[in-house]
Amino acid sequence: MRISSIYPILGAALLACSQISFAQDASAKITSPADGARLDAMAQNKVVYEVVPGPKGDHSHLYVDNKEAAILKELKGSHTLEKLSPGQHDICVKVVNKGHTPIGVEKCVKVTVN
Amino acid sequence: MDLQNLSYAAIQVVHNFGAVAVVGSAVCALWPGLAGMRKKLAWVMLAGWAAQAASGGAFGGVSWLYYGRFPDIHGIAVAALLIKMACAAAGFMLVAAYLYRGIGWSERARQATWRALAALAATALTAAAFLRWFS
Repeated sequence: MRISSIYPILGAALLACSQISFAQDASAKITSPADGARLDAMAQNKVVYEVVPGPKGDHSHLYVDNKEAAILKELKGSHTLEKLSPGQHDICVKVVNKGHTPIGVEKCVKVTVN
Repeated sequence: MDLQNLSYAAIQVVHNFGAVAVVGSAVCALWPGLAGMRKKLAWVMLAGWAAQAASGGAFGGVSWLYYGRFPDIHGIAVAALLIKMACAAAGFMLVAAYLYRGIGWSERARQATWRALAALAATALTAAAFLRWFS
């Protein structure tokens, strides 16, 4: 077997591996703040997130109390929140498709601002 | 091939050609020497606005079909979408009126109608860019 005949096989294997990684299931994670965390109203509060869009998703949206707060184009990163009023708030990261429709993959945390 | 993406792509094709039809027909109708083709161009424009409206609705329809909800857009994107919808409704009605009654209108009124139709088409196209990049 000539060594050059390995290249197409190698290429096909690499392509197959890349397809497997593209087909990874969608997921959303909020690393910070933790669920139930207490935040300081005077501090600059950041949401640290990580999403895997999966085959149906494209990017994600950030919601505070069910209102869209930001479009998150990066799959992993952080976003500084606008000043939050004292009390309980829901923070969610939802994976959306290219048409901005949530695909049903999301992570939400409840925080209390003092 | 993913059926969902294929659906969005097919709708986008119709939407894009609709945009070409509404802008192109208005430009041609106002072009010196092409006034004799205005009736045919009006039909092209009518079809173009209908395609724009139907495909615009179909984008939301596919999202609803797959996920049970419409695309999540806010702020400038919503304003741009409303402008596009208003332009499509106004453009469709105006060109329909032109086809139905335009024969009895003065040349000045016809010229003004095509200018208004061109403005509506250009506004819709501009709003589309804002909808694309602010959502």
